[in-house]
Amino acid sequence: MLRQKRQTLALASRDYFHEWQISICFVLALAAVLGPMLVLFGLKFGIVGTMIDELVENPAKREIRPVGSGHYDRVWIDSLRKRDDVAFIVPRIRSIASTLSVSSEQAGRILQFEVIPSAKGDPLLDPQLEPPSGMDRVVLSASAAKKLQVSAGDHIEGSLQRRFRGRKERVAMDLQVAAVAPATGFRRDGLFASVMLVEALEDFRDGHAVPALGWEGSSAVQARSYTGFRLYARSIYDVAALSDSFDRSGIEVRTQAADIESVRRMDNTLSAIYWAIALIGLGGFSLSLGASLWANVDRKRKELSVLRLVGFRTGDIILFPVVQGLYTAVFGWALACGIYLAAAWSINFMLAPQLETAQKICRLLPEHYAIALAITAGASILAAILAGIRAARVEPSEGLREI
Amino acid sequence: MQENSPSGVIYQLKDVAKTRSSNGYSFGLRVPSLRIQRGEKIALIGESGCGKSTLLDMLAFILQPSDIGNFSFHADSNTAVDIGLAWRKHRRNRLAALRKAHMGYVMQTGGLLPYLNIYDNINLSRQMLGMKDDGTVETLARELGLTRHLKKLPDALSTGERQRVAIGRALAHRPAIIIADEPTASVDPFAAEKIMSLFIGMVEERNITVIVASHAWRHIKQLGLRRLAHHTRRSKDGRMTETVVSG
Repeated sequence: MLRQKRQTLALASRDYFHEWQISICFVLALAAVLGPMLVLFGLKFGIVGTMIDELVENPAKREIRPVGSGHYDRVWIDSLRKRDDVAFIVPRIRSIASTLSVSSEQAGRILQFEVIPSAKGDPLLDPQLEPPSGMDRVVLSASAAKKLQVSAGDHIEGSLQRRFRGRKERVAMDLQVAAVAPATGFRRDGLFASVMLVEALEDFRDGHAVPALGWEGSSAVQARSYTGFRLYARSIYDVAALSDSFDRSGIEVRTQAADIESVRRMDNTLSAIYWAIALIGLGGFSLSLGASLWANVDRKRKELSVLRLVGFRTGDIILFPVVQGLYTAVFGWALACGIYLAAAWSINFMLAPQLETAQKICRLLPEHYAIALAITAGASILAAILAGIRAARVEPSEGLREI
Repeated sequence: MQENSPSGVIYQLKDVAKTRSSNGYSFGLRVPSLRIQRGEKIALIGESGCGKSTLLDMLAFILQPSDIGNFSFHADSNTAVDIGLAWRKHRRNRLAALRKAHMGYVMQTGGLLPYLNIYDNINLSRQMLGMKDDGTVETLARELGLTRHLKKLPDALSTGERQRVAIGRALAHRPAIIIADEPTASVDPFAAEKIMSLFIGMVEERNITVIVASHAWRHIKQLGLRRLAHHTRRSKDGRMTETVVSG
């Protein structure tokens, strides 16, 4: 039994390679259909994938900003922080209070920086680096660090002034650069500070005392309220729901939901177009593969009858075209992958100038190749079995006399 | 009939028939009784269309008879196989196994596999049966004058050479019986006679039962074959043909 299976395998292989011209035609016919389908799918997957990656990786797309200024208390903000769909939230103070004059030994001039309240987990900061903390450890944006000619570990001096009881007052403080934020997250000049430090700056400007820094003034603030917040949703898919929930509580927010929605719509549209083409392609592909395998078995009826005559079993007669169908499937698939890789390389190469590094317009994952192989092999086996059964049904005496 | 043959009977048929009809013409082959002894050399002579091939195909189990009274095959004195039963039970693989082990078949036009060289073509049945390379193929090739062609593909050989390869393939696994359907019909008469006498000589030497169909008796009458009696009747309008074979 096993010997005969092995012999069938050997004979089918010998025949396949003996008739290499015809085998090449079958392989080409298969690759001609499968190759373009892979390119098409690669494009769809690459384009939509790139857009989604961009959305997912860009924290700005997940940001939800309140419009105008309101009154939010600490408890409310803490309750938001506990929500699953919120990745990060810190309170924000009046924008007029949130600037600081900064100088360094290395740079000769005093610069005005925007102060951004921040904390551990801020999506604009590199999670590998130290977050701002306490009253003296701050993170500079990349452009701010460049202008001050400082890097992590350097000391800088911050100063601010107020008009208090008719007099101009100025305080200075020593700050240390804990880290420099990546340029991709935040492009302006900015200084990320702990909420505590931001509150201290606001209190000083408002004329209150800040005992922690030794700044004098009227009595310390009792019930603090914030004018806004910095909030990032966990993922782009949570933005719409969060935004709706703010709308319901009467807080007007601004999001990038429209952008996200348009990509999702595009994905749906492209998917629909792709599936329409893929189904037509798959139909054509199955027909072409089925027809060629069927025709092949028909052509070989006499030879299969000879095998039947010398005593091959029905199963082996069916196995014969199946083996050859598998050869066609594997070689055709390999050629189609080659066609795809060449096409994808050219497309990506031509469009490279318009893309960020590592982005690809046309790409497939390893599992896509595997799925393509599985479908091709499956369709081949099915077609070959059907044709083989037909060949095995023909009485050998009929096949033998057909010449 | 050689009723007293010590090796016994190999085929036993009683009331076996095959009828076919197409386009208003019908054709029938009837075998009221046929008995072939082991070691016999049988000739089936007649014009084409008289039913020779039909009978050979039934004897090779590649054509299902329409009616089977009794049809048994005795590969050796110990095994008797009821062919009628095997057909009724659709045991095609059982019949294939019988052919593989006990039968050689020489077709009118070689029936060689174009993708195997001459050696592998001759060795096909031996390989299927897992028989070792013991020089049988080389010996056959020498006797058949094919030694220098062993590495070639059938394409490179003349028709007569291909028929000799087919004879080699039928003999290689030492079957109990060889069936040959007009083995020399596609060869010129001079070569045909040579091939036929070579073939019968080799079969005789190996004590193999043989059934040969041919349209020309004169080629083989001096080879000592038993001619199977048959007569063909046609209806007046020519629409019905019936051949009756017995022996």
